[in-house]
Amino acid sequence: MRKFILSAAIGLAATVMAGKPIAAHGPLFSPAPETIFKGGTEVTLGFHTERATGAGARETQDEPSLEVEYGLTADWEIGIEIPYAWKEDGDDAADGIGDITLGTKYQFWRRDLPGAQYKAAALLKVTLPTGDDGGAPRLGSGSTNVIAGLATGYESRRWYWFASGVYRVNGEGSGSLGKGDKQFLNLVGGIRPVLTGYKEPDTVLMLELNWEHAGRDDLAGTALANTGGWELFLSPVVWWTYRQIAVRGGVQIPIASGLNGNQPATDYRARFQVIYHY
Amino acid sequence: MSRIIRIAVFALLLLLPATAFAAQARYQLQIDGLACPFCAYGIEKQLSRTEGLATFDIDIDAGTVTVTMAEGASLTEAQADRIVNDAGFTLRDFTTLPAQD
Repeated sequence: MRKFILSAAIGLAATVMAGKPIAAHGPLFSPAPETIFKGGTEVTLGFHTERATGAGARETQDEPSLEVEYGLTADWEIGIEIPYAWKEDGDDAADGIGDITLGTKYQFWRRDLPGAQYKAAALLKVTLPTGDDGGAPRLGSGSTNVIAGLATGYESRRWYWFASGVYRVNGEGSGSLGKGDKQFLNLVGGIRPVLTGYKEPDTVLMLELNWEHAGRDDLAGTALANTGGWELFLSPVVWWTYRQIAVRGGVQIPIASGLNGNQPATDYRARFQVIYHY
Repeated sequence: MSRIIRIAVFALLLLLPATAFAAQARYQLQIDGLACPFCAYGIEKQLSRTEGLATFDIDIDAGTVTVTMAEGASLTEAQADRIVNDAGFTLRDFTTLPAQD
């Protein structure tokens, strides 16, 4: 009983401190090598919020989403993510379905040890231009984009680490606007402070280091000066699980940046998810 | 008289369901990769689909799953290996335990 209360208290306290009305099982802002068990279905209800200010602009975005993954085998899963976005850019506001993402992940290497696992996986996603890109602000990219990445990690009863790299190729949107391609590199460390049994609540604390770089946007082949650059985030994350339910939350805090020209910089991003697998 | 009693007891034993005395097979699976409760649910899910399974107990710290089968049912090592692999782990050892009456 004492372990139950202590684990739940750590989980709830850390979720609140993560700062926001707060899959499976791994980093929150970067991909994990984990795949769901064969024949399993994982449903994630998520909420993402972010704000960027600068260059005379203030942009906010709130985005609940529904994500479903299915395990074709223990090493291969497919999934779909459907976001709904609320955006504000100065005096302009819009809301609606965003760009739907179809994805697959294949875990091509796994080494199991007593109480620990090493894993590596490759992921491939396609975002479809289902969000309205004609209004202001735009809810979608207006283009079909491809995301490919590699993720690896170690999970044990006490310690975790993950590393990943992702490349996003952005197609050309409407009006000959091309968004710059993006690259992501991530490092994550985690700890399970209290070891719990199978039918007990479980809490893991993580700290992510997320670097992202965007190429310059271009309009009809001409690069736009005040676009692109890089940002580096430090991101505390907590996840709490009980049987097949997981709740996790975290916040990305910008700690360094090198953005081109004069453009809004990220103030914060936060994410909260409730996950159920069966 | 005692002979009549012996015959009556023998007849009574024959009338009792044979399964009342059948043992339940038990096995212990030693599993590698079992690190967290959330992912261990995959083992529970695979086990729940196993025909003839009565109960199971997952011990994450020990890395073991103890399985008790229904009367008359059994589990092979090949079946256990498939269950564990489909859950995303590796079966390191399969042990038959003393049956449970």
